[in-house]
Amino acid sequence: MILTAGYLPGLSPDEVEWQTLTFNRGGEQTEVSVPLLTDDQIKELSSDIKKASRHYLKGLPVSEILRTIDSAICQFLDRSNPYRQQAEKYLPRITGYDSEMVRLGLTSYLKTFRQSELRRFLSEDFFNPKILDEFQPLPKGGYGRAYGPDLLAHIWAGNVPGLPLWSLISGLLVKAGNIGKVSSFEPLMASWFARLIAEIDPRLGECIAVTWWKGGDTECQQALLNQADLVVAYGNNDTLQQIRDYTPITTRCLTYTHKVSFGMVSKSALDPIKAWNVAHQAAYDIVRYDQQGCYSPHVFFIEENGAVSPKQFAQYVASELDNFQKKFPRRTLTIEEAQDVALWKQTEEVKTFSDDCSAVMGDTDGTWCVSFSETPENLSPSGLNRTAKVISVQQLDDVPALISPYKAFLQTVGIAASPEELHRLACLLGVVGVTRISALEHMTVPEAGWHHDGRFNLLDLITMTEVERSAEISAEAFSNYVD
Amino acid sequence: MNLNGKIILVTGSSRGIGATIAKAFASKGATVIVNYIQNAGSAAEVVTDCKKLGGDALAIKADVTSAEQIHEMIDQVLGNFAKIDVVVNNAFKPYSFDPESRKQFWDLNWKDYQGQLDGALYSTYTLCQAVLPTLKKRTQGSIINIASDLVARPTIPYHEYTTAKSALIGFSRNLAVELGPLGIRVNCVAPGLVYPTDASLKTKEHFKEELIAQTPLRRIAAPEDVAGPVLFLASDWSKFMTGQTLYVDGGLVMR
Repeated sequence: MILTAGYLPGLSPDEVEWQTLTFNRGGEQTEVSVPLLTDDQIKELSSDIKKASRHYLKGLPVSEILRTIDSAICQFLDRSNPYRQQAEKYLPRITGYDSEMVRLGLTSYLKTFRQSELRRFLSEDFFNPKILDEFQPLPKGGYGRAYGPDLLAHIWAGNVPGLPLWSLISGLLVKAGNIGKVSSFEPLMASWFARLIAEIDPRLGECIAVTWWKGGDTECQQALLNQADLVVAYGNNDTLQQIRDYTPITTRCLTYTHKVSFGMVSKSALDPIKAWNVAHQAAYDIVRYDQQGCYSPHVFFIEENGAVSPKQFAQYVASELDNFQKKFPRRTLTIEEAQDVALWKQTEEVKTFSDDCSAVMGDTDGTWCVSFSETPENLSPSGLNRTAKVISVQQLDDVPALISPYKAFLQTVGIAASPEELHRLACLLGVVGVTRISALEHMTVPEAGWHHDGRFNLLDLITMTEVERSAEISAEAFSNYVD
Repeated sequence: MNLNGKIILVTGSSRGIGATIAKAFASKGATVIVNYIQNAGSAAEVVTDCKKLGGDALAIKADVTSAEQIHEMIDQVLGNFAKIDVVVNNAFKPYSFDPESRKQFWDLNWKDYQGQLDGALYSTYTLCQAVLPTLKKRTQGSIINIASDLVARPTIPYHEYTTAKSALIGFSRNLAVELGPLGIRVNCVAPGLVYPTDASLKTKEHFKEELIAQTPLRRIAAPEDVAGPVLFLASDWSKFMTGQTLYVDGGLVMR
């Protein structure tokens, strides 16, 4: 069976060129057909989406949009729903991730888009979300209304299944028309979501398109960038630099680059009762989607002088990674990924030659690896795919100095510490560029309304139209009731 | 461990723990009788897998709560292979391990108990009776009955299921005493919660997490974990063990 990705309202499948992507990662071969549009088709599609967005979506109350998204998400959460069943069946096959991990990951991820959570998401960015529906009085005086772009172009990454839903749903909430380009690694979730939206509200479906082109195909990319009012792009620095270079100067381009996240454990969490549980949580953050997310931890800084030593903690993490390997086996790595893991492991092993207190722990199959250092080290990326560094530090207050050189790359910190420590550390970490602090075990599941890389997901997408107080006052003079 | 030439009967082995046990035996060169009740397709897949793993296998449909069908199955096995070395009583009446929607004691009636007793005890009793003449002839054999660690630690009171499994352990100990002088060993393997199986599909994550936190080896069992101790009890490595129950639950129960 060949699956079809993409969602192209107004375009008949016969008019479109289709290419086949073949996936072998999950053990079974799966083929996915993806659309490859011509420049003219992209232009036409863009124009249709802009029109639909202007004529329908801009007039749709946010509450109505919320209801439609909620209904789509509910269907995706229902395990007897055909879309959900397809996702559970095929996402593991194309991504290689363990099917149980995908199943549980889908539920925990999708439930952050329920209506109640989306309301939270809206009120994070808008004091009064009605400003998306009509002009509202502004605290400074006058009136304002927020407008989303007519055409928001999304260029998505495929590292974690379903990730495109964040920006697509954000686009819908601000009433933007959307064209998204899916990654060759995971082209399905965004396509299914668009189809589900169209089934629930066909006219809203006309405001979304999901397409594909091979990464690096600058012609297709250029065609879309030329039409877009706003661009949101995910990927590595080189890809994003290229997208920026190709984006017209009058078009805003929001880029989400690769980030590094890490964990911190205070000695207050290191007694014989709590330490294992904390290690279990840390291992879960490492295992989830094999560290492919920007929020996945690479390093854990562990405070000394707890009842459980940092080295013992590292051993607990190692043992938990071994247990997780049985519960959620790691996906088969590509040759490049396996080389990265081997290189990282080798580098860490070399360090142990000159330092008796260091240790590298790993299983015989190489499905996970923990490197322990008794002396403080700067933050550094791991070899990914279940490799992590555990670093002993005298006190957690020493950590900001070890991470500050990497300000541009920092994102999430998972912390296990007392309330006093948590708040003190938050102040120190915020200064050096950390944008999100979560509990361990929650690093890879950002809450609804989080500020991705510290930015405002929705506010960044809109422009304000303001009626200044002066205009109001001046209008008074021209009223028919002027005395 | 080499089980070449051994004829092993595993009841309820078209899926779940039974299928894994069947394949583990086959991987050691044994010939496995894959007993099933409904799913011929799955049983055929297990047979194919067993052959790929280096053993031999034959699927036989039989409801182990029917004496008639059991006897027919044993006749068929003996007709094909002339002997049986090991019997693994793994089949049980379908049961869903769902802590949130289990029946409470006052919601149960005797039929519920009877159903589980038939599934676990009557089927084992009948199969043992049927296979005994051939085991006696050769004064050797190993019977392995799959129980549950809930017998020792009913974390969730699945009354009817656990009561039947408790009876199975009592049954096995008595049979061990009876058959010991004839060279036939009888033992039990008592797994903890095994995931994934059809029976445990509805067990919620948070419950599994709570169980994991209390388990010294910090995870729950996979079907593969159960196969090792079963193979051990089937082999000569355990030749001086009978009437025992091996708990396979990561140390949750210690006795």
